[in-house]
This record gives sequence, C-alpha cells and structure tokens, in this order.
Amino acid sequence: MFLAAPFRGVISAVALVLAPALAHALPAFARKTGLACSSCHEVWPRLNDFGQSFRDRGFRLEGGRDAPIEQPGSYWPLAMRTTVGYQWLRQALVATDGGTTTTQTGAFGFTGLDVLSGGTLANKVSYLVTYTPGLTGAGFSQGPQDGDLESAFVGIHDIGGSSWANLRVGKHAIDLPIDEHRSLTLTQGYNVYHFHPQGSAVTYEPGENQTGVEWYGHSDYSRLRYSISVSNENGAPLSGHWVSTPAVWAHLQGTQYVDNDLLAAVTAGVFGMSGWHPTAFQVLTPTEGTAAPVLGTGSSFKAYRRMGAELHLTFLSIVFPLTASAVAFTGSDDAGLIQSGVRDGQFVGGFGELTYTPSLRWTGIVRYEQIRNTQAGSDAAPLATGNLNALTAAIRHTVEMTSRTELAVHLEVSRSAALAADGTAPSTVTGLAGFDFAF
Amino acid sequence: MRRSLLFVLLALLPLGLIAAAEVPPALDIPTTEAPTAAPQSLDAERVKRGNAVYDRYCISCHGVEGDGRGYSAPWLDPAPRDFTRGVFKWRSTPSGSLPTNEDLMRTLTVGLFHTNMPSWGVLGERNLRDVVEYLKTFSPAWKEQAPAAPIQIPAEPTNDAVSREKGGEVWTRLACASCHGATGKGDGPSGSTLVDDWGHKILPHDFTRGHYLKCGDRSEDLYRVFMTGMSGTPMPSYAESLSPAEAWSLVHYVQSLVHEEP
Repeated sequence: MFLAAPFRGVISAVALVLAPALAHALPAFARKTGLACSSCHEVWPRLNDFGQSFRDRGFRLEGGRDAPIEQPGSYWPLAMRTTVGYQWLRQALVATDGGTTTTQTGAFGFTGLDVLSGGTLANKVSYLVTYTPGLTGAGFSQGPQDGDLESAFVGIHDIGGSSWANLRVGKHAIDLPIDEHRSLTLTQGYNVYHFHPQGSAVTYEPGENQTGVEWYGHSDYSRLRYSISVSNENGAPLSGHWVSTPAVWAHLQGTQYVDNDLLAAVTAGVFGMSGWHPTAFQVLTPTEGTAAPVLGTGSSFKAYRRMGAELHLTFLSIVFPLTASAVAFTGSDDAGLIQSGVRDGQFVGGFGELTYTPSLRWTGIVRYEQIRNTQAGSDAAPLATGNLNALTAAIRHTVEMTSRTELAVHLEVSRSAALAADGTAPSTVTGLAGFDFAF
Repeated sequence: MRRSLLFVLLALLPLGLIAAAEVPPALDIPTTEAPTAAPQSLDAERVKRGNAVYDRYCISCHGVEGDGRGYSAPWLDPAPRDFTRGVFKWRSTPSGSLPTNEDLMRTLTVGLFHTNMPSWGVLGERNLRDVVEYLKTFSPAWKEQAPAAPIQIPAEPTNDAVSREKGGEVWTRLACASCHGATGKGDGPSGSTLVDDWGHKILPHDFTRGHYLKCGDRSEDLYRVFMTGMSGTPMPSYAESLSPAEAWSLVHYVQSLVHEEP
C-alpha cells in the first residue's frame, strides 16, 4: 500500500513509540504452577515481590516440582501476547513542503506480537526465549519490521548452593529500577533508558535487552538484590577487543518492609554502567565505492557512563499498593564519541511515577519524565537540543487474570515533546484504547 | 572519585541493614505455645487485610469459599486444602485439634514440599499473619474450639543400630507395611485403595526417597507426624500406642529405609 511521505513519517513515529512496549508475561508459568497471574503480578505485566522472587530464582518455586521431568508430558511452556485496538496520534510542527503543520490520524491495529517460551531446563537451570516476528503491512506501524529474538538466555542458579550466585548467558533484560519490559504503559516507555547526548555514536540503551552474561544474586526473599551484566553494545561495529564493544551494568537494590497501615515498604537502589566504544577502524574502499570499516579492527575506545539512584515508596499494602517511584539518571559520553565533539556530552534525567492498584481489577498509572542536557558535546547545536518532557497516564481494567489467560482493557494517553535544534518543541500526543491479552 | 566511593558506601549501608533484617524461613515451631481455654475472637482488621491477601495469592487454588475448589484445583495433585472443615494435615497439636497460628505460619512460610503450595515467606510476617486470621473465617470450628497445646517432643536419643532395630519391631507391630510397603516404598497392599476425607485418592509416602517429606524432613518432623497423625488422611496418630522412645526408634528405622536419590 502506498502511503504519502508525511503519513509514513507519522506512522514511523508511532512504530518507534510502540516498539519497546511489549514484554514478558507468561501464562505458561501460571499453567505450570497453578497459581493465578495475580500471585506474581501486581498488575500484569508488572511483577510484585513474589513474582520478582520467582524470576530471581530462575522461574522456580523451589518446592520440588520445578524440573521439567516433574511436569506432565503434555505441558508445553509457550505463551503469546499482543494488544489490539485503536490508536490516535497528533503531532505538532511536522515538516512538510509547505512548512510545518499539525498532523492528526487514527488507526486500528495491534502493537506487535511476542511469542514466549520460558521455564526450567533442569532443576536449577532456566531459560527464556522471546520471539517477535516481523509483521509486514500490519499493526499500528503499517510497515515491515524485522523479526527478532528479544530474549534468548540460559540461567544457572544457586551456584555453589548460594542464591547470591546466579548466571544468565545470552540476550537478557538489564536489571533496571523499573523494568521497561513490564511497563504498564503501552504508548510510551521510559525515555531515559534510551537517551543519548546529541550526536553521540553510542547505541547502548539499558532499556533494550543486551547480549552477554549477567551475574546476579539475591537474598532468600529477594529483598536485597544485585546484578552485574557484561554485554556487547547492541548494534555497534565489531572492534578488535576480545569483548567487541564492552558495556558493564551494575545494579544494587534493597527493600525493607515497614508494615504499617500507611507505608508498607521502601525500596532503594543505585545503578551505574560504563561502556567503551571504538572510534577508529581500518577501512576497505571497494572500487567506485566508499570506505567502509573492516569488522574486527575497531580501536581507540572512548568511554560513556550512566549512573543513578531510585526510591520507591509502597503505601497502603504490598497486596494492593499505591506506589510512588522516583528514578534519577545521569549520563556522560566522551567527546570522542560525539560528532564534531569538543567536550563530553552530559545529561541528567529521570521520572516520577505513581501507580495505584486498589483491586485485582483496576490499576491507574501516571508518569512524568524529564531529561535535560547539561553539557553539549559539540557546538553544532544548542545545549538544550533534545531536552525532553513526557507525561503518560493510563487506566487498566483487568477482565480476566487466571492461571490460564490474561485479558485487560487498556486506556492510555501520553504526550512527549523534545526540543529541536531550531528552538521549537515538536510534540506528540498519543491515545490508545485496546485489549491487551496473553495466553 | 573519592566522593563517588563515599556515595556508593553510603548507599550500601542501608542495604546491608536490610539484608540483616530479612527473616529466613521459620522451621522451628515453638512447642511451648500456650493453649487458649476458649476460642479466640477474630481480629477484624487482620481478617479484612487477610481477605485481600487471600484474594490475590490463594484464591486460584483454595477457592472463593475456601473449600479448595479454586479454578486451578482440578489440575492440582494433591488437591488444595479445604478450609471449611477445619481439618489440617500438618499440625503440632494432637490429633483432632486445630493447628496453632504458628503451625499455619509454618506452612505458609515454608510451603509443602512437592505440592503446588509454595513458600509465601516473601510476603512478610504481617501479611501472612493476616491471612492466617482470614483462613479461620471459613470454618465454624474456629468459633467452637481453640487449638490444643503443641505436643512435646523430647530430645532425640542416639540413632544407633539398637534404636533402628527397635523401630523395625514397631514398624511391624503397627503394620506400617500394609500402606507403606515392606521396604517403605509406599507400595503396600492397602496403598492403592486409600482416599482422604474428601474422597481424593492418596498415596502412602515413599520413605525410600529420603528427604522429600511434605511436612519436613528433620527427625523431629517425622516424630511429630507419628504422634499427631495427618488429619483428614488415613495416616493416624500413634500417640496412644507409642511411647516417646518407641516413636524415636520408629523415626530412626524410617530414616534407614532411604536407599536411593530421586
């Protein structure tokens, strides 16, 4: 189907917004354990403390029935998730041949599809594979996408008999203050997990699953957790280093139950990462072609860093909580990683989020996010270029949440605006009404 | 650099305190819990909060009415506990008695091995005590009687050949083999015919598998089950027919039946 260029731009923007939204929630686990989805999910797909513990233990309840051999032969750990519905999109200051304009469109469609399989391979060995097929000419994005393995890892647990020693090998989710793959919002993720200083060559985004190894541990009830993840930088050219484009992420998080009628629990944590990206390559210039870097020759590594802290206050109870979260994030990319860079590019950002789940059926969420560049890496654009404000609000009504299926009606509206180099702030407003379901 | 290090150390300090404060699963059940002369009235606030805990975590197996008929129940083996009869397999109290709060807390905190009942210790003591209170609303038994005092478990004597031989004699005298089989494998002649009070088929325990008992695998756990029985199942209490010394000998004999790892 032919689409006018401006319309393709709008649709592409929607696709970008929606791309990180779908995530993990495995009715297959509920079918295996007999537990309701609400046992592990505060509201699907966000994990509660029991679900976090289940995940940390490698999808095990440790009750003697975790190994695949304990399950009926007919049990097959497959699940799928998608969201279908209607999405409305309004964008201001969209460039056209006739100048800027405000566009407005709506479309029926779906957000994509996750096909998941996860569980145990042996008593203390877990796995997760998440396949996202390419969906040509369908969905809200209306355009071809590449199929991808969003997750593919094997986990080895309780190494040496200790819950403090676990290993995941493969493509895995980075341990973040709030897991974007279990976000309760569908039109907008956590922008700060994907932010880069203007002109940076870095492609590492903690919001994306990373390919590498994760060494992590936790206390008996996962009230104290740590994670160290060593991975390659997704999408970066291969360097000559033995870990091509190394990135190390570390996260330490602790929860204390307060157990009074007002404040139920407090969770705090710190996180940080450092990555190294090559800036020089040997090149090969084909006949009548342009020079291209030769894979495996990257050198002159320059560093980029992220660090921050988090605080989550759980009010009322951990069963039906009102949770206030604040996450602060800072980042710095070496000048050598920034196009025409004369100094390091730096930013600060973060978000505040309020989530209320008064019952098994209803959840409301509001999130405000702000990112500010604090030091421009180059003089090519004003310091404020890329500064972002975003506001998202959603209501989710869970229609069905058993040990077999999950179905929710989801209503959401979000607005984001990022400052352009010319000083304008093109904004995007997105509305979504749909059914989010998994089986 | 020093400031960053100080920041990290300051951040680690409260987290270390959190780790120290986390309570591990409780395995030791106080045997000195004072019996109450009359049924205790329920704490309305705890019941209300416990109802919320139950709705989120328990209802899929134990059902809205607490009758063990949750929507997952048809696929679960063994069947989830029916709370409406006030009959509990695992107790520290004599046969026919209600369990103590600590008994129920133990089941919630530790779980029941090789069943679909996991450890819920993650939820914290307050939530578990709340749901214990709520469970009592399902059966009138809690309004009519109070839990008896837990049985006393004397110190374990030496596990030696003499004790095991005596235990073997007790095993024969009590006809344990009729259900559990001559070698303790759970394949006795009566084993295939057993049902519990709800009519669910129930298999005698295979002692040869060793440390995989639902109610705990320590010596005192075995002793307790021999002397309290498992209410609602064909496993009776032998408190009237065994002396403490004989019960310990039986424990030692049963432990000697282990000969293979699962």
